[in-house]
Amino acid sequence: MEDDVRRMSTRARKVAPKMVAALASTDNRTQAILARLEALENDNPGAELVEPNDDDDDASLDEDDDQVFQKKQSKGTKRKTRQAKALETAKKAPRTFLELLHDANLESLPPHVPSYLRAAVGPPSSTSRRDFCTVCGFSAKYTCVRCGMRFCAARCQNVHNDTRCLKFVA
Amino acid sequence: MSSNVVVVLDNGGGLIKAGIGGERDPTTVVPNCTARPLSSKKFLLADQLLSQTEDLTSAVLRRPFDRGYLINQDLQSTIWSHIFSSLLHVTPSSSSLLLTEPLFNLPSIQRATDEIVFEEFNFKSLFVSDSPSLVHLYEASRRPYDVVSKAQCSLVVDVGFSFTHVAPVFQNFTVNYGVKRMDLGGKALTNYLKELVSYRSINVMDETFLIDDVKEKLCFVSTDVARDLQIARRRGNDNYFRCTYVLPDGITHTKGFVKDPIEAQRYLTLSEKGELPQEGANEDDEPEVKSKPNKVDLTKNEFSLSNERFLVPEMIFRPADLGMNQAGLAECIVRAVNSCHPHLHPVLYESIILTGGSTLFPNFAKRLESELRPLVPDVYQVKIATQEDPILGVWRGGSLLASSPDFDAMCVTKAEYEELGSSRCRRRFFH
Ligand SMILES: [Zn+2]
Ligand SMILES: [Zn+2]
Repeated sequence: MEDDVRRMSTRARKVAPKMVAALASTDNRTQAILARLEALENDNPGAELVEPNDDDDDASLDEDDDQVFQKKQSKGTKRKTRQAKALETAKKAPRTFLELLHDANLESLPPHVPSYLRAAVGPPSSTSRRDFCTVCGFSAKYTCVRCGMRFCAARCQNVHNDTRCLKFVA
Repeated sequence: MSSNVVVVLDNGGGLIKAGIGGERDPTTVVPNCTARPLSSKKFLLADQLLSQTEDLTSAVLRRPFDRGYLINQDLQSTIWSHIFSSLLHVTPSSSSLLLTEPLFNLPSIQRATDEIVFEEFNFKSLFVSDSPSLVHLYEASRRPYDVVSKAQCSLVVDVGFSFTHVAPVFQNFTVNYGVKRMDLGGKALTNYLKELVSYRSINVMDETFLIDDVKEKLCFVSTDVARDLQIARRRGNDNYFRCTYVLPDGITHTKGFVKDPIEAQRYLTLSEKGELPQEGANEDDEPEVKSKPNKVDLTKNEFSLSNERFLVPEMIFRPADLGMNQAGLAECIVRAVNSCHPHLHPVLYESIILTGGSTLFPNFAKRLESELRPLVPDVYQVKIATQEDPILGVWRGGSLLASSPDFDAMCVTKAEYEELGSSRCRRRFFH
């Protein structure tokens, strides 16, 4: 039983590469926010994804899948030959949405054309931001001078400094 | 029906809802991902991840979606293949496909998707739809005398897995130029809850499945944040929010659970009018110190929650609190309405439909109404309806459309795809 708890709590936390880059920036506060938002999109935040060999990545399928899957495989090879050239350079790892978005070059669309970019809701009209302590959740009076995160009292500040501040533990 | 099977696939970033057109409910609702349990070399997918006996503690997760869009076609087709053969038992080459895609899908993604549909699975024909128009269609059919169907108009608020869309629908089409998006959905909420719990009690950063469960069972929307924060500082019975979640131990139970479900429901007894309930015991200066939040006994394999329960869904209403530079849901709605013709404004405010899994938090609609009302001109009515089943709503609309007599004519056939190519076929689906 205790094994289980340990298994979950002692897994090494690593600093993600993006966040290392963020740290290099001069504006810690902005970068801290960006890194934090990035973390909210992460599927496996606790661990740096060690890509195993990508080939045994496909989930193994049940036997009754075989029929369709084989069909799929043979089609798959056909597709591969057709796309072989493209694939040789851009191998394996699927591109992120932000990369695809960049390629789509939506900025070049005339302003009246609805698009992913234009649909973004935009900043809030009122700037009244309520401040909750990032440690305990209660209302926070203080702001960390290094990273801009909020805390309510010395006790939470210590926790912040020890575990959180500029560490971007994912 | 018997001559042509239509597979209806609501292909969400979080869940796939899959079934046969014409039926009331999808045959299957499964996670759109694959995960490898720590103890295994094998990736499990879709329904295999729902097994009650599978221990998914610290499982490594992969999703075909990133930020709401399909980026990994190989993984997606592996998951589809499993669904078609093992769960739906359909033969794609003798079926049509009704597929949902996110609003403003990129042409490169559409091309890759069409390729899977026609070249890999050999579907006979395809129809692609956005979600809001299907939600509208379903609601209009359920409430024929309501403004939704009389005006053929509604405002669909879809708080999904990857993002939230507010989409005006007019004459059964989504009004693209009126759509507004917040980059916040169920996934970010789960990750935020992970952060809070990991911070305060025990590291659960790797426990997506577990924390999803915690979120679904214990989170709710506060109707009065200031009051509820006060209550959350109290000790013992005076804290209506404190409850305990038991982690799996890998031996007697492989899933976590709420320790005392009755205790977890106590918050529902609070007055809706924002009164602060009488406190039995003391109330003095430094509540921080006195309440010792979440002293967790690790040997007990559990953690407790209090203000996290409502601070997590709070994100949707006030993303700025978290440092996100985007407006909250109520303002998002106002902006979507304002980008439509003024004649539509009153009708849209009167026909707001909530859908998507993240609208299931208790008190969601009530809170939204209280935030929205002050932003809307007094002469307009504000009416917010939650779908009967916010997770299945899109699929049910799709099922309805798939069984309509016009459906075949709306599809693109494999022959047309081969002749015209993806982008010309796509033009047919919208307008
Ligand atoms: Zn604090
Ligand atoms: Zn700091």
